[in-house]
Amino acid sequence: MALEQYAGDMGMCCRCSACKFVPMQKVKGSDYSYVCPSIAKYNFHAYSGGGRMNIGTAAVKNGMNYTDRLLDVVYNCQMCGACDVSCKYAMDMEVLEPISEFRMKCNEDGKTNAALDKVIAGLRKTGSMVPAKGKRGAWAAGLGIKDATKEKVDVLFHVGCLTSFDPEMQKLAKATARILEKAGVSFGIAGDAETCCGGRAYQMGYKDDFLAQAKKNMALIKKCGAKTLVTGCADGYQAFKVLYDKYDLKGKLEVLHISEYIDKLIKDGKLKPRKKVNLSVTYHDPCRLGRLGEPWIHWEGTKVPGDRFVFDPPKEYRRGAKGIYEPPRDVIKSIPGVKLTEMTRIKEYAWCCGAGGGVNESNPEFATWTAQKRIDEAVSTGAEAIVTACPWCEKTLNEAIKASGSSLKVYDIVELVEKAI
Amino acid sequence: MAFTKEVYKEFEDVVGVENICDDPSIMPAYYGTEFAAVILPKDTAEVQALVKLCNKHKVMFRPICTGWSGMFPKGIVLFDLRRMNRIVEINEKNMYAVVEPYVISAELQAELMKRGLNFCIKGAGTNCSAMLRGHGHMDQTTSGDDRNHLAIEWVTPEGEIVRSGSLGSADEWFCGDGPGPSLRAILTSAVPPGVTPGVFTKAAVKLYHWPGPSEFPIVGHSPKYTLGEIPANTMARYYSFPSVDKMWQAELKLGEGEICYELMGFNAAMVSCNITTCNEEEEEVFAKMSKEVQGPGFFVIIAGSSPEDFAYKKHVLEYIVKQNGGKSLKTVENPEVEGILMCQCIRISASIRETFRAGGAFNSIPIMGQRDLTIKWAIGAGKAKEPLIKNGYIVDDGGAFFGWGVEQGHLGKTEIFCKYDPQNAEAKKAVEQWQQEQTRRAFTEKYFASTLGSQEDIGPALSNYHLWWQKLVKTLDPNGVSPEGGALV
Repeated sequence: MALEQYAGDMGMCCRCSACKFVPMQKVKGSDYSYVCPSIAKYNFHAYSGGGRMNIGTAAVKNGMNYTDRLLDVVYNCQMCGACDVSCKYAMDMEVLEPISEFRMKCNEDGKTNAALDKVIAGLRKTGSMVPAKGKRGAWAAGLGIKDATKEKVDVLFHVGCLTSFDPEMQKLAKATARILEKAGVSFGIAGDAETCCGGRAYQMGYKDDFLAQAKKNMALIKKCGAKTLVTGCADGYQAFKVLYDKYDLKGKLEVLHISEYIDKLIKDGKLKPRKKVNLSVTYHDPCRLGRLGEPWIHWEGTKVPGDRFVFDPPKEYRRGAKGIYEPPRDVIKSIPGVKLTEMTRIKEYAWCCGAGGGVNESNPEFATWTAQKRIDEAVSTGAEAIVTACPWCEKTLNEAIKASGSSLKVYDIVELVEKAI
Repeated sequence: MAFTKEVYKEFEDVVGVENICDDPSIMPAYYGTEFAAVILPKDTAEVQALVKLCNKHKVMFRPICTGWSGMFPKGIVLFDLRRMNRIVEINEKNMYAVVEPYVISAELQAELMKRGLNFCIKGAGTNCSAMLRGHGHMDQTTSGDDRNHLAIEWVTPEGEIVRSGSLGSADEWFCGDGPGPSLRAILTSAVPPGVTPGVFTKAAVKLYHWPGPSEFPIVGHSPKYTLGEIPANTMARYYSFPSVDKMWQAELKLGEGEICYELMGFNAAMVSCNITTCNEEEEEVFAKMSKEVQGPGFFVIIAGSSPEDFAYKKHVLEYIVKQNGGKSLKTVENPEVEGILMCQCIRISASIRETFRAGGAFNSIPIMGQRDLTIKWAIGAGKAKEPLIKNGYIVDDGGAFFGWGVEQGHLGKTEIFCKYDPQNAEAKKAVEQWQQEQTRRAFTEKYFASTLGSQEDIGPALSNYHLWWQKLVKTLDPNGVSPEGGALV
């Protein structure tokens, strides 16, 4: 789809500003009422979902009017999709899709962001979105994990770039491996042959790089013969499950996030969290596991002529309701001693950690600002720790904690489960 | 029509470099106008300084909050009040809340409900400024319009700060009319141009008792939120009647009985919008509901302060409805639907569904006046929609209108929508023509003088108010920097 194909959707924007806030029924006061980090930080309407729709409409009508300010608007967005959910409470129109197409158009026109260009150059060279120091599979040395490229496994664990290469995050890969082993799962990794899912490149607007990564990954998976792919990263989850499907690349591959898989293992009696973990926690829904983890809906049709914005065949909108919300919560609740208290903004209207859309790379200060807002919200629950299900969230939340001096702890869900088994 | 560098710098010095922008690429985010600049003041002092600069340079300005549509002359300065979003005070003892312009109604109401209080949220929706003047679904309880504006802090078009009512003498917000200067007629003009020039920077709004829960027990995910249970001592129903006259008689008796927390004259099409999650579903539900209703109707919420109070209100409600041949809509008796409607119609969170979702745009004729008279006009205006429906220009809502009684119900709000696709030029033209004709008919047939009509036409019939208003505006705004529609947003 190109930007022009969303002209009807963008033209539906009535500038009501619902996209700035959590869905109106869920506004619980003057604190934590905003859902879009971009408008909350930068204030000009252009930085909101609605502002982006109106700029998109003008671009379709009059052409792209590139200025530095426009590119500032374009790249200071986490592409978290919160505006999309809040708008679609009341409206039948796409919001995130045209925002994404607008960014891709900027990319096609060479109006890229230097910091993101650098990341993508690294991706093209090393197959990683983070600096590839050492070998991708080095974290698994000595752990005896099967190499899925050499032997048949039921489950392929896609580790992800950050978890593979960041020494601070490799603990998540090790914890995941230990959990899967404990549950007796026949799993393997691709090790040094693993490559980036491409999801973050897609968010940044580099569609071709995303597609190249997707094709590489699906070829590798086909070669491995794995029917199920488990990711520990929400970006990876969205890429394999939703974006690959959007571009008809997923086939029949079953894609599960590790929190879903652990939930299944616990419910099937294959994994039993027995050890007590005395901790009060709150849970942060990663955008790409939650609202953006909703399955892709294939649809092609045309607007029915007449008064209403309806289509032939009828269009079913993705509104964020079918993301992965309960499995991680069920896993947390299954751990003895853990007390879960919810934040104000949760599930489909959760506040982003700040890392998405390339903001982590292009504007780290904005990413940390966004994460700090989440830390404040987590602290307001009285919890000792915030639990998430994505290494990018963990990294960004930790950076905000470091900057602010908060005593809140951050855990990935696999770290908690590992403590309990 | 951009500023010179020097003038831009003067404005920038007031708000800081991050809070002013004249980049043409982001202007379409606001409206299809070439603004001289968009500026984000953070408080009254900054607004005052900006307004004085506008006078110095003879530049027009307009403030906005969350938005909606607007007409803006080219080269105007837009004050986006996004940063003025604080609830300054909630005074439970004296029953008022003081807010800045960008506090949305959802935020204020949520804070109030925790305290057993509520306020008049305008029908435009809970996403709008809490200080917006107008009418809303809860008018029988909270009244509407200028009744709810207490003291106001106002930056005049020349940049003076005026504090009205009690604020002007006692530095307290409890009253709009004194002991300080009452400027009610100027600050809340109810006839064209409709709003006062200048900028309202703070306003106190009147608060009311809320007998319901401190927070609705919402379950599910967007877009299908429902209530886990119907809160104690509350009930929502939709009643249809054999005739408009019977409906009006019931509405009047209920108003006089003072038992309804809310009486909203939704038509079946509006109920369908509220309880459905997409356009296709809405069409189906409307078709079903059109067969279920026996005629025009209204939606009611009763909320008791105790089980006994609730039982009394319920009894009176059922008695009056029965006396007038009313029939409760089974669809709304379903607790899931009842819960959705109760929550949405107290929180006023579905107005966008009712207006924009179907086609992307709507035109309406809103009237405030003697309810029985405006209903009679609305029947004709509804009939006049039929050819537009037949031609496929507007969404088929059965030619319906809607409205509700304010306070005891003799005074009321009546409104009629035409929803259409703004990309369809023919439809747009037809709707605008309908709007003009029905507005003119209201005046010539002596139903009322709509604020949509021309001042020159209706002014002579209303004590030449427009001439007085023009004199007032000239005095208040000698440099002509604050065009119509300038103060409340």
